[in-house]
Amino acid sequence: MIGRIIALGRNTFREAVRDRILYSLLFFAIALILSALVLGQLSVHEEGRVTRDLGLGGISLFGVLIAIFVGVNLVYKEIDKKTVFALVPKPIRRFELILGKFLGMSVTLAVQIVIMGGFLALVLVIQGAEVEPAILRAIVLIFLEVMVVTSIAILFSSFSSPFLSGAFTLGLFIIGRSLPELRELVEKLDIGGARELVRAGLHLVPDLRLFFVSGSMIDGRYVSVHGDFIAWSYVGAAGLYALGYAAVSLCLASLFFSRRDFV
Amino acid sequence: MTAAPESAAGEVVVRAAGLQKSFRLGLFKKRIDAVRDVSFEVRRGEIFGFLGPNGAGKTTTIKMLMGLIFPSAGRAEILGRAVPSLESKRQVGFLPESPYFYDYLTGAELLELMGQLCGLDRATRRRRAGELLERVGLGAGKDRPLRKYSKGMLQRVGLAQALINDPRLVVLDEPMSGLDPIGRKEIRDLIGQLRDEGRTVLFSTHILGDAELLCDRVAIIAQGRLLDCGSLDSLLSPRLLHTEVIYEVAGQKQIVQLGPEVDVDAALGEALREGKHLVSLTPRRESLEDLFVREVAAGAARVERAS
Repeated sequence: MIGRIIALGRNTFREAVRDRILYSLLFFAIALILSALVLGQLSVHEEGRVTRDLGLGGISLFGVLIAIFVGVNLVYKEIDKKTVFALVPKPIRRFELILGKFLGMSVTLAVQIVIMGGFLALVLVIQGAEVEPAILRAIVLIFLEVMVVTSIAILFSSFSSPFLSGAFTLGLFIIGRSLPELRELVEKLDIGGARELVRAGLHLVPDLRLFFVSGSMIDGRYVSVHGDFIAWSYVGAAGLYALGYAAVSLCLASLFFSRRDFV
Repeated sequence: MTAAPESAAGEVVVRAAGLQKSFRLGLFKKRIDAVRDVSFEVRRGEIFGFLGPNGAGKTTTIKMLMGLIFPSAGRAEILGRAVPSLESKRQVGFLPESPYFYDYLTGAELLELMGQLCGLDRATRRRRAGELLERVGLGAGKDRPLRKYSKGMLQRVGLAQALINDPRLVVLDEPMSGLDPIGRKEIRDLIGQLRDEGRTVLFSTHILGDAELLCDRVAIIAQGRLLDCGSLDSLLSPRLLHTEVIYEVAGQKQIVQLGPEVDVDAALGEALREGKHLVSLTPRRESLEDLFVREVAAGAARVERAS
């Protein structure tokens, strides 16, 4: 079974490479150099800080966009292009196809994020700024977040069209990133009995702020990628949360996918 | 309806019992019965033809056997294993209708992937992929991406991927559709070879000539119902329909149809005495096409009476 999932994952990765999704990295590289040059000029002696912020923000934005736009098409394309007709009759279980797609997409995103991170480090070195280990931890958190987003994209696309799946996933991403503010808001609003319902609903949304920590207070400390950043133990705990959330999403996706008729 | 009694010998490879499939379509969830109570058996070593006009329910039935569609009622078995299961799938090779594969892969890569999914070790899948690509005539094109393949080449690589796991049962959905006469003959020859290797073949078609040339037994399906099932000999009426005679009279061709009751010898003698020259004489018995038209028309009438 593992061998079949790896074969399906490798094929998904190969598709991403041959469909030239990785070319988007070139755009990232050019955008990073240009904006770092321009904004670095404006901020005297703070070039490194600007590049770090821009670079990490860019990696996160690119990762999430690719996870959504490629993620919602992973399963849909199999059905739309009728390749599923040749796959499902092979001696595989349907959930293996879902796991293989997720695995391939995760590897694709990991490769992209590593390349983008490497590029960020290179620009920092050229600018003469320090490349702190905190950047690596920040990048791992970004990867964990896009993994969660990919699993949600696959879940929606297991029963819905790519357009709706994309809209749902983007919506859930925005809510997930604003969860602390939304929780506060719910407590302040006068909505009576609906409050319990909304509270329960917010528990279903992934807390993506866990992966986007710079500028927030964690355990009473102000966390910043430029100064006092989270430790590896935090990254480990966030990793467990990400794996748990992705596992539940993929189980549900497999459940929906296993009941579908491929007409 | 069940299989004709003369086929009672031999191991059952495919058994479909009361298969039904309804879809709910549109805003008002209108119910469409695509397949209604279809039962048949395919026995070891035979070429079984699944015949019917477009939209008859052939593909839906095949997809139920392949685990792509879940039946609304009824059950199916392949080599004694319930469908769909890993055990039933291991014994089967399937070529979908107008097959689509990952077009960014080459022919060799597609077979490599399918071999991996069938759980073959590296040495076996390499060897078998090479042999199969040669066998379907794609030895030279195996390193070309599938997006550059013609329709005939796609059909052939589709057959190769269906055979990668050395299956006992080969299921082909419309394997000849969209091919030119040479392509059709190649696929026909391949199907014949599969039987000679001891495999069982189930294929669907609406091209009756292909079925007549290949099939040991056929099932005729229309409007989702199985109309008839059995060997061609038992289904086709051996009775003479008419005799077609072509004469030449004063440089002009003249076609005469003699009914079964006419004495052909006497009619011919008279014509020759009148100075006509005989060009050809063809006794016409029922063809698969005649049977098909008769069955489908009768089936439609039955449905009309029932409603």
